[in-house]
Order: sequence, then C-alpha cells, then structure tokens
Amino acid sequence: MSQPTVDSAATWKERLEGRVPPRLDEEINIFETQIAQKQQGKIDDKVFAETRLRRGVYGQRYDNGQRHDGTASRALEYPCGDLTKGPNTVWDAPGMLRIKIPFGAMNGEQMEVLADLAEEYSDGIAHVTTRQDIQLHFIHIDDTPDIMRRLAAVGITTQEACGNSVRNVTACPMAGVCRDEPFDVSPYAHALTWFLLGHKDAQDFGRKFKIAFSGCEQHACGLANMHDLGVVAQVRSTSNGTTNTERGFRVYVGGGLGAVPHQAKVLREFVREDELLPLAQAVCRVFGRLGEKRNRARARVKFLVAKLGIEEFTRLVDEELEILPPDDRWSAYLGDLSVTDEAPTRPAATLEAGERPDGFAEWLGSNVQRQRQPGYVAVAINLPLGDLTSTQLRALADTTRRYNGGHVRNTVEQNILLRNISEADLPALYADLREQGLGEPGASSLVDVTACPGTDTCKLGISASRGLAGELRKRIATSIRTTGVLADEAVKDLRIKVSGCFNSCGQHHVADIGFYGVSRKSDGRTIPHFQVILGGQWTENAGSYGLAVVAVPAKRIPEAVERLAGLYVTEREKGESFQNFIARVGKARIRQLLDDLTKLPTYLEDRTLYSDWGDPREYTIGDLGVGECAGEVVTAVEFGLSAAEREVFQGLLELDRGAAETAAEKAYAAMLQAARALITTENIDIGTAPDEIVGEFRTRFYDTELFFDPYAGAKFANYLFRIHGDAETDSGEEAHRRIEEAQLFIEAAHACNQRISELQAASVA
Amino acid sequence: MDMEGAQGHTLDHLVKLDLKVLARGTSAAEPEEFIPVFHRWITERVLPELLIDVADYSHVHEGPGVLLVGHDAIYAYDLSRGEPGLLYSRRHESGAELASIGSLDHRLRSLLDCAFRACDLIEAEPQLGGRVAFDRHRLELRVNDRLVPSDEETALTLSGAFRRALAEAGVRDGDAPVEVKRIGEPRERLTLRTG
Repeated sequence: MSQPTVDSAATWKERLEGRVPPRLDEEINIFETQIAQKQQGKIDDKVFAETRLRRGVYGQRYDNGQRHDGTASRALEYPCGDLTKGPNTVWDAPGMLRIKIPFGAMNGEQMEVLADLAEEYSDGIAHVTTRQDIQLHFIHIDDTPDIMRRLAAVGITTQEACGNSVRNVTACPMAGVCRDEPFDVSPYAHALTWFLLGHKDAQDFGRKFKIAFSGCEQHACGLANMHDLGVVAQVRSTSNGTTNTERGFRVYVGGGLGAVPHQAKVLREFVREDELLPLAQAVCRVFGRLGEKRNRARARVKFLVAKLGIEEFTRLVDEELEILPPDDRWSAYLGDLSVTDEAPTRPAATLEAGERPDGFAEWLGSNVQRQRQPGYVAVAINLPLGDLTSTQLRALADTTRRYNGGHVRNTVEQNILLRNISEADLPALYADLREQGLGEPGASSLVDVTACPGTDTCKLGISASRGLAGELRKRIATSIRTTGVLADEAVKDLRIKVSGCFNSCGQHHVADIGFYGVSRKSDGRTIPHFQVILGGQWTENAGSYGLAVVAVPAKRIPEAVERLAGLYVTEREKGESFQNFIARVGKARIRQLLDDLTKLPTYLEDRTLYSDWGDPREYTIGDLGVGECAGEVVTAVEFGLSAAEREVFQGLLELDRGAAETAAEKAYAAMLQAARALITTENIDIGTAPDEIVGEFRTRFYDTELFFDPYAGAKFANYLFRIHGDAETDSGEEAHRRIEEAQLFIEAAHACNQRISELQAASVA
Repeated sequence: MDMEGAQGHTLDHLVKLDLKVLARGTSAAEPEEFIPVFHRWITERVLPELLIDVADYSHVHEGPGVLLVGHDAIYAYDLSRGEPGLLYSRRHESGAELASIGSLDHRLRSLLDCAFRACDLIEAEPQLGGRVAFDRHRLELRVNDRLVPSDEETALTLSGAFRRALAEAGVRDGDAPVEVKRIGEPRERLTLRTG
C-alpha cells in the first residue's frame, strides 16, 4: 500500500528556510552543531551547560537522574546512559525552555506558534513568568533547535533567556496606554533588547543582568527598583527655557531581589533618550570588567555597586562613556518610535447601559482599567498560577484579533493584558473570555497569588510554592464567595507572592504577604515550611522590601493568611496601609499571632504536615527508627538553632524601632549561635568567644564544605565571615541586610544539620 | 506493507501521536485524586517504561488535568473540550516494548495497547474506588506533529490504519465496528474520532 508523503519538507529547518532572520538562524545552527558535538563528547560539560543556558534551555527537577519517592531516592534510568548536558544533568531528562517576550508583547501569530509548541513538545501549557517570559516544561533538548526555529520565524528568540547574560527586558504592561506615564517606554525597551542581544560588551558577566522599564515612579508595573538596571520615563523642560520638553529617563542600577535584596541606586537623574543605549552599554562594560566572576553568590551587579559605592560606580561608567566607540544604533531607532505601536482597531465608544452577562460587574470592577485614550480600556486576564492551555492561547489569539488587532502584554503578575479595547465591546469580550475559561475576576487582587515553579519543576525548590498558591487561590475564592474575612474590602488589593526558596523568583520580598520555602526538622523527619515575609511594598516600583517574621509549616500557611488578614481588618486605623499596619503593630505581635501554628505535632499525631501541598510524598527520607536515632543528635542542634532564630527575631524588633546598631549586633549574635549549634555536634566543649566559634566553624564546616549549599556553595558561610570581620555598623540599610543574611545563615544551618542527619542515618543503615 | 512515499518520509515515521480514551459520563473522580495514584505508579514502577514526574494542571480550565510524565509518553487524566478521559501522548520510542515498531499500523496498535493498559489500571485503582471507567470505543486519535499536513489525503490514510488497528484490538461499538471520522478545523492538528 502506498502512503502519502508527510510533506515536501521533512524537517522544520527545511520548512522554515528563508523565514528565520539570518542573525537568529545562524545562532540556532551553531547550537544545533554544539548539540551534535556534545553527543559525540567533543564539548566540555560546563561549557555546554552555559551554551544551552544562553539559549534558554534550562534544567528541571530530577534531571540528575535521581528522584525521591518519599522513602528513598531512586535512580531514573534514562535511555541515554552516561550522556549529559551539563554537570550532573542527564541528556534525556526533561528540561524547561524559557522564551523571551520583550516587554511582554505578543501578537496573534506568536501566540499561535507558542500554543503549537506547547502541544507538540511540552505538556500543553504555556506558563507566564514573573518577568513576562513564557516557559515551556518537560522539553527534550533534542527538540530545542526546531522549537527555536519556529519561534524565530515569528520574531521570538530564546537567546540569552538564561545564563550569565542580559535577560528578558521587561516593561510596564500599561506602557502606551497608562494615564500616568509621560510617554510610552515600549519602543525604548524594544531598542535596548535588540541592541544588547548578543552584544560583545554583554557576553562576559559573572551572573545574569536584568533590565526593567517603567512609565512612572508610583506604580508597581515595571518594578524598576528591584532590577540590575531600572529605567523610568521622565520629561523635562529643555534647557533653552521655552515650554518645550524633552524625553528622557531616570536610571537606577544595582537593585535586585535574590537571597538578600538590594534597593537600586540612582545612576542618573536624567538621561536623554539618545543617551540611554550608550549608558546601558557602559554599565555592561563596567559590570563585565569588574563584576565578580568566581563567587557566583556575589556576582550580581548589586554587589559591585555596594562594593564600589554608587559614586565610584558612576565615575567608572562615565569613564567608559568617554571611550565608547560611536555606534549608529544608539539613536537610529529614534527615527521610528512607532515600531511597537498597537493602534486600536475598533472605534472608541463608551459602555452603554444594557443587559450584562453573569459576573460581568465583578469582572469589570477588578480586571478592567481605563486607558489614557478616551473610550478605551485595558483588560486583565487572571491566569491561575500563570498557566494557560494551548487551546486557550490559540483562542485568545483569535479573540484579540477581533477586538484589538491581535496584541497582548504579559504582566509581572503572571497575567495577560489586552489593551485598546473599546469600552462598548466589554460585555461581548467578557462573554468570549468566559467561554474560553479566561474570564475569572480578581486580577491583581488578593486571590491573584503569584508563585514561582518551586518544587514542581525547579531544581532549587525547597517547598511547593505552586501547590501553596493554588490552595490559597481556592481558599480565598471560597472566603470571598461566603463573605469570610478574606472578602473584606480592606484586604481585597493585598498582594500575596510565593517563592519555593530564598531566591525570590516569586518576588516575595515586594508582596504585602510573601512566603519563601524552607524546611524544619521534627520528630526525626523534615517538614516543609514557608517563611512569612511582611512589610514589602509592591507600589512605587517595588518601593521597599519585607523581612521574615517566622517560619510556619506549609500546611498551616492558609490559616496564617486568614489570621493576618483578620488582624488587619479588625485593628487597622483609618486609611492605614497593610505595610504601615505591620510596622505599627510590630513583628512581636505578629509572631505571637502565629506562634501556635509553629508548634509541630509528631509524625504519628499528624502526618499531614509531613508532606507538601499537592504532593503526597513524605517530605523526608529515612524511616522512623533511623529518624529517632538521628533525632537525639538533632535535638541539641535544633535547640541551638532555635535560639539563633530567637536572636535574629530580636534583631528584627530592634530594626523596627530604628536601632540599627543593636539590630546588626543581634544578627551577628544569631549567626554565631547557629554556627555554635552546628559545632556542638562535633565539639561539645566549644566556648562562646566569637573568634573560637568562627575558627571552629571554618575548620569543621567550611574547609570540609559540609556547610556548603548544593547550589549556592560557600555563599552563606561567607555571610558569617564577613560580619565577623566587620561587626559594627549603624547603617539601617546594612543592618537590614545583615538581618536577612542571618536568617539565611540559619536556614543554611538547618539544611546542613539535615544533611548530617541523613549521612548519619545512611551510615547506620 | 510498503510505507515508503515519494519523498522518503511517510506516516510510518510519525512517532508523536496522541490517543485519548473518553471517560464514561458516570465517572466521578476529581482530577486531584490522580496525583497520589500517579506518584505511586512511579514509585512502584507500575508501567514497563521510565516514569519521571507528576504535574498538576487541574486549576486550568479544560486543561491537561493531572499528568504522569514519562520519557516515552505522557499519560494524563485530561479535561480538554470538557470531556474527561485518559490521554496517552507518545513522544519517543526508546523502551524495549516500543523499540521494534516499524509501521504506522503497528504503532497505532501499540498506542491502543498502552492507553488501554493505563485505563485498566485506573479502573482497578483502589484509591479511586471504581469511580472512573472508560468507554474504550470512544477514542480520539491526534497527530501531534505539524510537519504532517492536516489534509484529506493524510486523514484518509490515517483513518484506514486506525480502523485496522481498532479491528485488530477488538474495539467495537456494541456489535458494530466503530466509526472513524475526522473532527476539528484544518488549522488544528489532524484529529480522528470514533463513535
């Protein structure tokens, strides 16, 4: 029997010949060759790992060929045998592909291709990240060149989506339609994206470099303060004293979340639009030349700015600007700033009275914002956990073509924004979105919980951030339906953000209520917890960062949220923000409020706490007998670590009352206590003198690398050494940072203790 | 059976195929109930292939539900089109059971066997208490590879092979052979449906 041919093109490379931009085509061909070379053993593991990361090809949980099933770690026998795609990363293991979406802008054709790729190579889900990217999971590395070609054919690249490079350039999703912006930052974000992509001055970084644009200072949309380079639109009168104005930007540098967040510093109060690209290039050159390369934990530009001081950093940037060879691209794009325009396709018209679909009023109140342009609105699609299916994405492409010419913007809250919607079209649009399952109300409100991937897919995840976020969404929605405490108007607009670990991908530091995953030992087993972070500020471009108050078992976090909300509802003063409320009532009161939630039942009393949200596996290894054996050793250590936690909490309280020097002392004392607790496992006679503790700690836990985090290495140990060498400070900012570092040091001590327990259990077995 | 086409690339080489077995209307399990089941399947190596992870998308409207991700295939209690069912989505053929497949007919029969085996296991799953059952004659076969043209000629070829595989597997709608028809829009992946 004769079969029809599949197509005249047997491969995507043939099918898309001539449709992939030459610059991207060359990149993809190089990567395809490197894949072949790696399969033949002709590229070093580390080199290949960075190569694929710079193409957005990321690792995923279990890619080391091991999976813990709750009782033991078992080998995953991938068919590739010993072939790896990086150190300890198995070739055949599914991975994640991060796809850059500059300033979150996608058109209909791009949405359709993303939908196709999610179906054919991933799990049918496109995931919107907190930096406006799209991520696909469970991708096989062999498929990545074809995926890249199909993306490149519609103008999308994964180049430099990961690795030590300039990541996706983000921007306020309201850019161009916002009522408060002086001008649209989109074309500038677009220009900077393509200017720095593959730029020779941005190829030698010790770590990643993130850029964000914002149209204004007051809103959160761009989050400029928490980026390596933050760019905020400004206008000023021209120097000739006329009423004319000129466009420019206030430029920030050295912001960032991560384990220890830094607020950005002002690099330039005002740069003209034609000065922006060279300034960014100069910053890249300084970062590339002087940024830390060996110690990844201190390699972000924020550490360089902190080390040099903003004045010296600025001077170095100025020096670079003086010697930069001129480049036509610095200003060429200014000739056509309409390149990113998304003109409305439907006439502006007001929303007239009439019959409305069910749920319309609530959705209108929460998901729709007026634009600067009269008669038009921006409509947010509230995506649960940032996820949407291929079917939804394809339907959304059709919908947007009908209502606004086929344009959307991804948001940093993991939603999608439709702009330039005629007000009169809202009822019909709502009906269409609801039919597609995209009409949920509550965008950018309490129920719209943000979460990083956490233990679902991330190799660094400690707790199930998505599991918790999903549970919180359900409970908040139920509380709102049943007019519970979370339905109160006072808490409606609070933001909850969850990270699976201290690395802040869920942006927990800038939430009203933030969480990051940690673990605690009890009863010889490990229990997933989340640190509760309070006092962060989402508005004013992530204006300030919260601090950890207490670690609560993961399964009790929903109760903690209800209590926190309840306290705010009943005790807030008129007009008092949540952030101010937390500052007023104080962290001691909050801790007292949640204290009973931290008391841990034994495994036999309540097993539910010993697994995480959405994951029935027991959170720890080892059987009960071994656990009890280890527990005897653990008890003394845990006691010491608990004392360290109390000490750092006292430091928090001191910080609250403005006693920076005392707060810093407490942070230092807490680290010493945690280090001493660990040392007691090997030297019960350890004294209390700081030099002795630090010396013993260095010998027993640093030199042996016992304390090293599997991914962060010596990072947390170095926090102690640095403070030990420079104990005194009266700077509030420095004290804030030391409190953060002390908390992370204690977490690392918990993790170290856990590893020791497991080693002991294994040796007993 | 000669499967070679004029360009040297025929449906015989098409690995990426999806087969969905629709659940009976009386099925009453929540998607989340599959999470512990699938985790246990990984631990106990219930299937003769490499199983890696479980993914929960039950929060997404008419989405892939809960997935059991393997190296050669993804299994899902799938909720797309609002019709729950067991989705078997083949990605590779590295396992010993699949290594000898060389033709479209053989592959389709193998697809049916793999999907039905998962259905059998789910129906017998103690944790689900018999609350999920599948109609093995209500099937959806989809080409998950857009290099394959979604045209009538391909649909005809695929339908013929699918009918043969169904007959060989003994899939019938009561006493009658199942009907196979094409569904969906041309821009969608080529999809056939029975019943």
